[in-house]
This record gives sequence, structure tokens and C-alpha cells, in this order.
Amino acid sequence: MFQSRSEYDRGVNTFSPEGRLFQVEYALEAIKLGSTAVGVQTAEGVVIAVEKRIPSPLVEPRSIEKIVEVDVHAGAALSGLTADARTLIEHARREAQNHRFHYDEPMPVESIARAVCDLALRFGESGEGGDDDDGDDNDKNEGDGEDDERSGPRLSRPFGVALLIAGWDENGPALYTTDPSGTCIHWGAKAIGAGSEAAQNALQEQYRRDMRLAEAEVLALRVLRQVMEEKLNAHNVEVAAVTRTVDHARVGQFQLYSTERVKACVARLPETETATS
Amino acid sequence: MRSPHFLDRTFAVHDHQADRLPTHPLHSAAPAASQWTQLQEAVAAAPIRFLHGTTTLAFVFQHGIIVAVDSRASMGQYIGSGSVRKIIEINPYLLGTMAGGAADCSFWERYLGMRCRLYELEHKERISVAAASKLLANIVYRYKGMGLSMGTMIAGWDKTGPQLYYVDNDGTRLHGKRFSVGSGSTFAYGVLDQEYQWDMEPAAAAELGRRAVFHATHRDAFSGGYINVYHVRADGWVNLSHDDSGIAKFREYIGYERYVKKTAAITQERPREVEGEVREAQERMAI
Repeated sequence: MFQSRSEYDRGVNTFSPEGRLFQVEYALEAIKLGSTAVGVQTAEGVVIAVEKRIPSPLVEPRSIEKIVEVDVHAGAALSGLTADARTLIEHARREAQNHRFHYDEPMPVESIARAVCDLALRFGESGEGGDDDDGDDNDKNEGDGEDDERSGPRLSRPFGVALLIAGWDENGPALYTTDPSGTCIHWGAKAIGAGSEAAQNALQEQYRRDMRLAEAEVLALRVLRQVMEEKLNAHNVEVAAVTRTVDHARVGQFQLYSTERVKACVARLPETETATS
Repeated sequence: MRSPHFLDRTFAVHDHQADRLPTHPLHSAAPAASQWTQLQEAVAAAPIRFLHGTTTLAFVFQHGIIVAVDSRASMGQYIGSGSVRKIIEINPYLLGTMAGGAADCSFWERYLGMRCRLYELEHKERISVAAASKLLANIVYRYKGMGLSMGTMIAGWDKTGPQLYYVDNDGTRLHGKRFSVGSGSTFAYGVLDQEYQWDMEPAAAAELGRRAVFHATHRDAFSGGYINVYHVRADGWVNLSHDDSGIAKFREYIGYERYVKKTAAITQERPREVEGEVREAQERMAI
């Protein structure tokens, strides 16, 4: 097995005779080393929660960012090589803003996920053909030359990161995953990262489509607590939600929870986990 | 010799520059030298430019910034629209004004809004007015000499308080307390400079902005329509008023009622006689 791999896992653009792209598969493995992230979609909104691994007590916990805002109505949780995620997130933000600029409407969450996947697949050794990523318009509009790196060399390997994208658009709540293979799937509830297998099983057992948002918060944290090595508290998890805005059913509002709010959510968890799985 | 359209704009802020011709493509974004003459010819022969006549003004005072504008869009003698919104809401705490090419202003200020939002996402804090205006100035500078036409004021409130910048298509960027842009700006400046005080109350400041624009619409044929007034405060901008600059404002600011009211105040005349005098005056003027 391993011998046959070693032949075909050198190049990122070479299929093995069995039809596999090993570098992409290895990138998927990299995500399984990353911290666990859980997303739960309900009719009231989407909750995402991530384990925040703090490598040393000297680390400033706030400097580790696992949930980011993409636009007013969408956010993303990261798992894997978070450094790679920065490129993807910046791309997603830019696409979301370009969409608003061109169409004067929020970008559908599915389109955001697609945009991320488009970039996720744009790796390779050649380096050429790296035309600007939104294809359409305005290199010149970038004005002050701040964005020149976009036409620079592309990443030569797959991105080692997966995203859970939560949002609310004209079709209501949405939870998408993107991974290094460029796959983009809409989920009811999904876990990615190191503990994703156990977490996904737990979600499968406990998730209901008619959950309230508050229940979803508890579910996400409970599942996270099950798979985390450290004891879960308000400082080693990050939680965010996208809910509909009060005055507009077709537009969502992303909100990263403050430590106090996470504390309140943690306090609602049942004291001990009765062995559900 | 007929100068290219984009040079015979009426930004009163620096009309002395009007005879300065762009002679050479100095900047990398500019087209190659062979294309340059072609471009200049094209710019010179360009179709009528919209919105050349305008009055826009903004000033900083104790409680923030008042932005006041007219709403007329003219193309030479022709009034294209009487209800243009020349105050552009870039985002909830930044305003831009529109003078010169309507499309140039609204497009680039919308683009600026996008860039400000990206800045916000990246830096987790609002962009300063200085940075936002510099962004715009840098963008238009890349298009220098290519026919862009915009004279705009960027007003907002950031960590350093209320800030006001003037940015135009030359790439000029000025920080200041009072600006007025457009063909009616000289008239507006007259009123503004006369009455302006730092420690005005918001209502009085708004009224000053309104009056300055009114007097400009009165004397400048290329300004008119409605007077829109916004107030930039610490918690963002608010839209204060939208008034017809026509007869009602004329009566309030110039007409006989005002004259009579003033006289009455001075001579302490009885109101009934004043009323009679007003009616008489109106009949005389047939307005």
C-alpha cells in the first residue's frame, strides 16, 4: 500500500492508477489533526463552535482565532492549518464584498462556499494560468495597488484547511463545509477536525431539524466537550451564530459570542455527560 | 483653443489649476505614450458631462459635521434632474458628496465603501476618515488625466473625532474645517464664512448649511432643486432635512416677509400692521 503511494504522491497533479490524488488526500489528513469544529443548523439560525487549543498558558487566548466573520450575514469556523485559512477567508470576504458591489445584495451562502472551493482547487506547480480570481472585472479598480499579490504565484500545494461556513441568506439558514478537495456540501449538522468522527456520530444521534437555537448551542458545546481533551470552559471554545435580523427575514446577522455569553451557554450544559454514545 | 471637458470643470477650490494640461503619462497606470494623445482627444470629444453645476458644502463644528448640498443635475443649459441625492452614504459613519461626474462620484464612493468594509473585516475596527479619504485619493490618482471628474468631500467621525477631507480627480486631498465644492461654492462660502462659529448648536449649524446652499441655489443657475442636510455625529450620520429650495425658502431667507419681520423686530411694530405690510409687499411683488 505505502509503496504504491510513494510513486504517485510526489506531484499534486498526478492521479495514481487507482484514480486518487494523494496530495489532496494528505491535505484532508492534515485537517484531522486540527481542532474540532461543530456546526448546527436550525430554523432559528446556525450555531458554530470550535475548540481552541491553547498550547501554553503564556499564550494570549484572544490571539488564537478560529471563527471569523466573512460578511454581515456569514461567518466561518476553521480547522486544520489556520495559516492557509487566511488566504481562503480573505478570498471569501473579497468575493462577498464584490458581490454586494456588483449586485447590491448579500452574497448567497452557497456562493460564498463555492467561491472558497474555487480557490481551494486552484493550486498546482505550473504557476501560470493564475488569472485573477473573480474572473470578471477590475484589476484596475483595485486602485491603490494593495492587492497586487493576487496576481502573484499561487499556492503550490492544496490548502490544508477545512471551513464550516454558517450563514443566512434569502433562502434562510445555511451550513456549508469546504475542504481541500474543493467539495462543498450543505449540512444540517456537521463536525470537522480531530474529533470529527466521534462528534459526527454524536450529532447524528442527537440532532433534530426542529431544534431551537438555544438547544443547538447546547448540542454543539456538548458534542465538543465529548471530543475535547481539555476540560471545556468559556476560554477554550469559541462560539458564534448567524440568525435572521430582526427587521429583515432575508438577511442574517453574524455574531461572535463574547466570553460572557459563552460562559452563559456553558452554564446551561448538563453537569455530567451521561454516556449517550 | 477649447480645453478638454474634464478641465473646464467648475470646482472653485482651485480654479487656478484649470489651465494646467496633463502633458505626459507619468504614472504606470496611465496608457502608453502613443495612446495618450488618442485618449486626450477622446476625453476632449467626450459627450456632455453630467452634474457640472453643483453646490455642496461641509463644515466641522463643535457637535460634528454638517453636510449640505443641492440636488440639481445640469448639463450646460439643460437641467437633467432636480432631485439628485448628492450626499452618498458610504457606510453608517462615512458620508461622501457628489460634484463633477455623477457616475464617477457614486461609483468610486461605492467602491470606497466596499474597501472600507474589507478594512473593517481585516482590522476589526472602523477605518479612519484619513485612511478612507487617502484610499480614494490614491485610486483617483491612478486615473489622473484620463477624464475622471469628481470633487468630493469625505466626512466622518473616527477615534480622533469629526474629520473632513476634500478629495478631487487631480488626486488633491485636503484636510480642513470648511469646504464647499461646485459652481455655487463661492456663494455658499460667502454665507458660510460670514456666519460660521465653532461652538454652534446643531440646529443652528444645520440652518447655516441650509442657508448657505440656498443662497448658492439662488445666485447660481446650475444649482437648485432640494437642499439636503446631514449631520455626522459620534454615533454615525443622520439625515436632517430635505427642503425645496424654491419659493418657500426664498420667502424665508430673502423675501419680503423676512424683510418685514426684521423691520418689525427693530421698530417693535404691532403684528397687525406687519401682516398688512406683508400682504401689500406680496401684492407688489406678485409672488
